[in-house]
Amino acid sequence: MTSQPTLRHIDALKEFINIGVGKAASSLNEMVNFPVTLHVPFIKVLEPEQVNVELAELGRSRLASVTLGFDGAFTGKAALVFPPDSASRLVAVLTGEEPGTPDLDSVRAGTLNEVGNILLNGVMGSLGNILQERINYSLPLYSEDTVANLITSGNMTKNTVILLVRTDFIIRQLEVEGNIILLFTVGSFDSLLSAIDASS
Amino acid sequence: MASILVIDDSAYARSKVRDFLKLDGHAVLEAGDGARGLKVARDSPPDCIILDLIMPEIDGFKILSALHESAPKIPVIIVTADIQDSVRRQCIGLGAAAFIHKPPKEAELRETVQTVLGARKQ
Repeated sequence: MTSQPTLRHIDALKEFINIGVGKAASSLNEMVNFPVTLHVPFIKVLEPEQVNVELAELGRSRLASVTLGFDGAFTGKAALVFPPDSASRLVAVLTGEEPGTPDLDSVRAGTLNEVGNILLNGVMGSLGNILQERINYSLPLYSEDTVANLITSGNMTKNTVILLVRTDFIIRQLEVEGNIILLFTVGSFDSLLSAIDASS
Repeated sequence: MASILVIDDSAYARSKVRDFLKLDGHAVLEAGDGARGLKVARDSPPDCIILDLIMPEIDGFKILSALHESAPKIPVIIVTADIQDSVRRQCIGLGAAAFIHKPPKEAELRETVQTVLGARKQ
């Protein structure tokens, strides 16, 4: 039987995620030299088919994303997601290349992979530090696909229970918006709740 | 001026580090993977190595261990997105001279390199 998070768990996790996203935003601000505005994180316990419904508002079109699998104390997947135009503008600012040029296309995946690596490690590493649990990461993977395929691919069975965390950010001056999405799967979910209990 | 080897699979990350190091006139060697990094370190030993941790094939921990065995006098500065305290402790335990979070700040990176190179001369 899987433990269910209480309101206290959710509140604590929201605070921990806020700290991690703040660290990630600070890193992104360091890279682009413009303020990054964060929205309050959204946290829900869901079954796999509900994840798509919750994320549907991100759109049915293809999105640019960097995903990072993690395991250790907790298991799941972290994703940094951008609408394609936002991704192009961000890469152009970071590399100095002109949007829409072949040169920009050639560095797009590598640059976004590094951005995803820094931001997602910032969120997850901060969570690991607060909860004093070690998290191991897979290599970041850049892809362009629908949100349904980006997020729910992998070994999620019908019985998997998911803790979905989503936070949105915007860099107004660059017209760049994006989302950070974390999925904690069952099993790890219990260890996550235990770690939150131990830390508070 | 010193010769500094940067081992990182991200060309974007290498270019940022290279730009900062060149401000102090350092000669920068680059390797995009661990195997190439270890070969350059063996064939043209640099004064200092800047090493990423999260890389395909041979990760930074393995490279750090190998360098500690084969070239213990070359200081290694870890520059990584992994901000976990346990990772920092592990790297220092494996012989890293310093540990910096990505994205590296220009002043922090340049000062750390100067400190590490200064300590090496003593």
